[in-house]
Amino acid sequence: MTDGKRPESQVRAGAVPLPSGPPPGERVDGERAGSERAGGERLDGERLDGERLARGTRDPLLGELVLLDDVGPVRRGRAYPAAGAATVLLVPAGVLLAALVLWPVVRTLQASVIDPDTHAFVGLANFELPWPVIGRTVLWALVVPAVVTALGYLLASASRRTYEGRLVRLILLPPIAVPLVVTAVVFRLMYDPDRGRGTATALAAALFGKAPSFLGPTLITVSLMSAFVWAWVGLAVVVFRAALDAIPANLADSVRAYGGTRLDVFRDARWKPLLRRTVAVVFALVALATARTFDLILVLAPGSVRDAASVLAVRVWQTSGGTTSGRGAAVGVLWLAIVALGMVLASLGVRQAWPPPTIPPPRRRRKTKGAAPVPRPGEPRGSEPVGGQPGGGEPAGNGTGGTTESGDGTESGDADGDGTDGDETDEDEGSPAERRSRAGRAVRAIGRAVPSVAAVLWAFPLLVLVATSLHSPEDAATAGWWRAPLRLASYQQIFDDSTLSRSLLFTAALALVVTVVVVGLALLAAYPLAWLAGPAAQTAGMVLLAASVVPVQVIAGPVNEVLATVRLSGSSQGLALVHIALGLPFTILVLRNALADVPAATLRRVRLTGQREWDAVWRMATSIRPAVVAVCVLEFVQVWNDFAVGLLFSGPDGTPLGLLVYGQAREFVTASGPLAAISTLVSVVPVLLVVLARRQVVAGLVSGALR
Amino acid sequence: MTPGRDRGAPAASRRAVLRAAGLAGVSAMAGAGCSLSGRATQVAVPWSDGELDQFRAVLRGYPAPVEVVSAGDDIDAFLRARHLAGTSPDVAILSRPGLVTEYAQRNWLAPLSDDLAAPFRSEWSDLLRWNGRLYGAWVKAAFKSLFWYLPSNVDSVPQTWEDLVALVRRMGAAGSGPVPLAIGAADGWVLTDWLENVLTCVAPAGFYDALARGEPRWTEPPVTESLTLLAELWALPGAFIGGPSRALLTQWDESVVEVTTGRAALVFEADYAQGYAASFGKPGLPAARTFRFPSVDGVRPLVMGGDAAVVLHGSRRGEDLIRYLVGAHAFDPWIAAGGYLSPNLGVRTDRYPEGLQRQLAEEMNDAPVLRFDLSDRLIGSFGGADGVGIWRVLQDFFRSVTAKGADRAAVVNRTAATLNQAARRAGGAP
Repeated sequence: MTDGKRPESQVRAGAVPLPSGPPPGERVDGERAGSERAGGERLDGERLDGERLARGTRDPLLGELVLLDDVGPVRRGRAYPAAGAATVLLVPAGVLLAALVLWPVVRTLQASVIDPDTHAFVGLANFELPWPVIGRTVLWALVVPAVVTALGYLLASASRRTYEGRLVRLILLPPIAVPLVVTAVVFRLMYDPDRGRGTATALAAALFGKAPSFLGPTLITVSLMSAFVWAWVGLAVVVFRAALDAIPANLADSVRAYGGTRLDVFRDARWKPLLRRTVAVVFALVALATARTFDLILVLAPGSVRDAASVLAVRVWQTSGGTTSGRGAAVGVLWLAIVALGMVLASLGVRQAWPPPTIPPPRRRRKTKGAAPVPRPGEPRGSEPVGGQPGGGEPAGNGTGGTTESGDGTESGDADGDGTDGDETDEDEGSPAERRSRAGRAVRAIGRAVPSVAAVLWAFPLLVLVATSLHSPEDAATAGWWRAPLRLASYQQIFDDSTLSRSLLFTAALALVVTVVVVGLALLAAYPLAWLAGPAAQTAGMVLLAASVVPVQVIAGPVNEVLATVRLSGSSQGLALVHIALGLPFTILVLRNALADVPAATLRRVRLTGQREWDAVWRMATSIRPAVVAVCVLEFVQVWNDFAVGLLFSGPDGTPLGLLVYGQAREFVTASGPLAAISTLVSVVPVLLVVLARRQVVAGLVSGALR
Repeated sequence: MTPGRDRGAPAASRRAVLRAAGLAGVSAMAGAGCSLSGRATQVAVPWSDGELDQFRAVLRGYPAPVEVVSAGDDIDAFLRARHLAGTSPDVAILSRPGLVTEYAQRNWLAPLSDDLAAPFRSEWSDLLRWNGRLYGAWVKAAFKSLFWYLPSNVDSVPQTWEDLVALVRRMGAAGSGPVPLAIGAADGWVLTDWLENVLTCVAPAGFYDALARGEPRWTEPPVTESLTLLAELWALPGAFIGGPSRALLTQWDESVVEVTTGRAALVFEADYAQGYAASFGKPGLPAARTFRFPSVDGVRPLVMGGDAAVVLHGSRRGEDLIRYLVGAHAFDPWIAAGGYLSPNLGVRTDRYPEGLQRQLAEEMNDAPVLRFDLSDRLIGSFGGADGVGIWRVLQDFFRSVTAKGADRAAVVNRTAATLNQAARRAGGAP
């Protein structure tokens, strides 16, 4: 394989404008390079390559190595561990995933076609199609991501260049970090149908005279969705902002310079180069995340509307609880099928949204040339994105750098074409421009207001939570937070017995251990996987992605069986193992992608200085520190915030926080004061972590996971 | 799956194996998380919050360490999962005798020696027998034929169903002052308790028990008659605080608070509402009082609920704990704290604090006939959970029958048919 690549790479390095499609390996590379992460970093690496190359030609001793190593990521094949070592590194993660994800899925499939009592094969007799529930599940997976994506883009672009923007984005962050059960508590407080207590209900009543019943059967799904959107928009904003920042500013300028309208700027300088893919990624991410609505529904929907709010996740739980047999397994299989379908669609969407870089066919250029006096300025502009980079004096021979930019370059080439279209309207440039500027001012004013409004809207629910927690249990249950005196009685009550502190300690220990193990195992596994390229990498990625989206409720029964065979079910070790297995795929994915992005130069340094494979692993780990920090924070927060896994697998030796909150929320109104206090305390840790580590998390995520 | 089996095969060397697999962290966890010296007796309970605290206080008197797991309303799912995993707790406390017989049938429980039935009325203990063997012992009773009210809002307590209807009609029509009824219809069991109280009065002897055994006789007159009576009351204009759709979003705890703060006049709720009634009063208002469920057709209902402790199959320590719990003095801390009613005939009524609990204990001990909560005796998912079984059917009934211009007779028949179908599906008698 490496032998085959070498000439290709040389071709790539030498002849950028070749119109033929790039080789598969390079396509992967192109995707990677085009991801939201600052393309610059990659560029740096490649530039280093270039320098090395240059120096290498000077230095005959290194020349040998350069020839071996330097031709690009595909060539790293030379520098990685032997197949045996790689397999060993994959074993721990592989065993865990096989035992606690893959095998349970197989068992669930099997259980769905046998009778739970007689163990006889019954075909599809267990399958009933709960259409309303299926419909609601699909609705969730379509509507919520659409709203989150749209809002996320809007807020990201509106808050981008303003000073308040930073504050706004900071305000949008905590909802991402807050446990979903706490989100449910927050919104149940807000949507309380009593206008003396429920903030949203009181506001609606004050504004419109009559408040809708937010928790009633007709609106419950909308209310649940609003809570979910509240929790997820921050992530979309962060990702979109990273994407927008990665787009060279001069791209937009050049579109504008050639008379491009706002729409043109959006389409040619944002949508086509990067946003299309980002949108696909965010949409897919949120769509898959809607499988988590379970926590939300169980806490937010009162018993009488549980059915009106039910999605497949809840139905699986209602049908089979912690076991997986018969009809419960069948519902689970249905859900798996829907998730799998969604994943396939999503990955298709993501891939289509990022077409392999193509070089504009020359004839089209010629056409534009003929149409308008654009060509002359067009040519410098064509090289602008590349030239725009500092130190752009890099020769055209800078292979991958050229590839990275070729996407942008292509799009700016397209922008060219649109610019020429704009020329036709040039004759009446004066009045439309004025109109445009007036409209522009209005748009800008709205644009400036939007982030502030959003900040208020997003901060408000958390304020309600904290305010409620600062009232005595009696006041919280009988009066709104705005009417009663502030007290610390609720906090006093929750610390009166040791339940909360024990649960806090237990959850912290659990999250720490799980994080350390997951990240350790994932690093081991990611290392050999990082060397894969082309179809093998795609396959590994798909498998990991599939493993990371399997809903835990579906496989609960078989997972418990597996845990029982190692005598760990119903224990904190078993709980930790399940968390580890569930956390591994995503973590491996992120780390693998980050490792694959490690510049060849770093690698070479390692290979030159490091004696053993361990050194290589360690050096690589340190060079992907943002990604490691990101997965550490994410894994810790994930375990800390968990509810479903705790519900299904926790044992008598410890109550995870999610379960504690859920238990408190079962008699909601009378518990609202202490519940708000617990929720506030529980949220502090993840919110602090995510806010403090936000840079690393964003950098690590957008460079690694979102591809 | 071979990897799993390989790793699990020698239980003793589990840690070594795990460490070999690179899971040193997990075994560290085993050290950190499991510092118990010797295994404590595990009890899974459906209680949470205050009740859980009280139960812990009770266990403090037990000489051996006990670990209490709050499994919540979904204790059935919890135990099923644990059973499957082979890590069942030693003792579980179930609020549904239906579950006890169901588990006994599946051989999940260890039979208990018969003397553990002695402290209880035979009609109680018989609910916990399967094939003549005893599988559980009662630990807690709930008095489910009770109304709560503030004396300042109700001048004369209704003695009969007709009185109640008249009172609700009058107060509902008044348009000012407290709304007549609060109801925690968001919790399905509140509605089943209503139905059961009426049903015990209008049903001939044996019918109630037949339904409880799972016989699909829900379309017969006693059921439709009871549903009609309920429909008549529930559909009265202005009956519920905030209207019926608001009532469906009210949980039982909130319904109690609505009465103790004077916003509603009456709430039908069991004795365990006492804790909320006591702590969520409003300054300046009198304390809430109770009266028995009014008589229907001249019969005064007495429906009880209760929690039974069972020993899971294979537990050695379980029965010791149960023996402790059925002792006449085990629950003294909880009795003293209030909010607890003992089904144990050995608990003398003067041990209760003066007032409601003592009065209820006396009424319970003197009552010639006790009925046990019907929905709790039903088998399988028909017995209900949020959004499932009879809970959901009755919530739908509540919603449809209180809708404007509802055809009550049609709704009653439809509900009866749905219940019957659900009973059939649940598999009839065990």
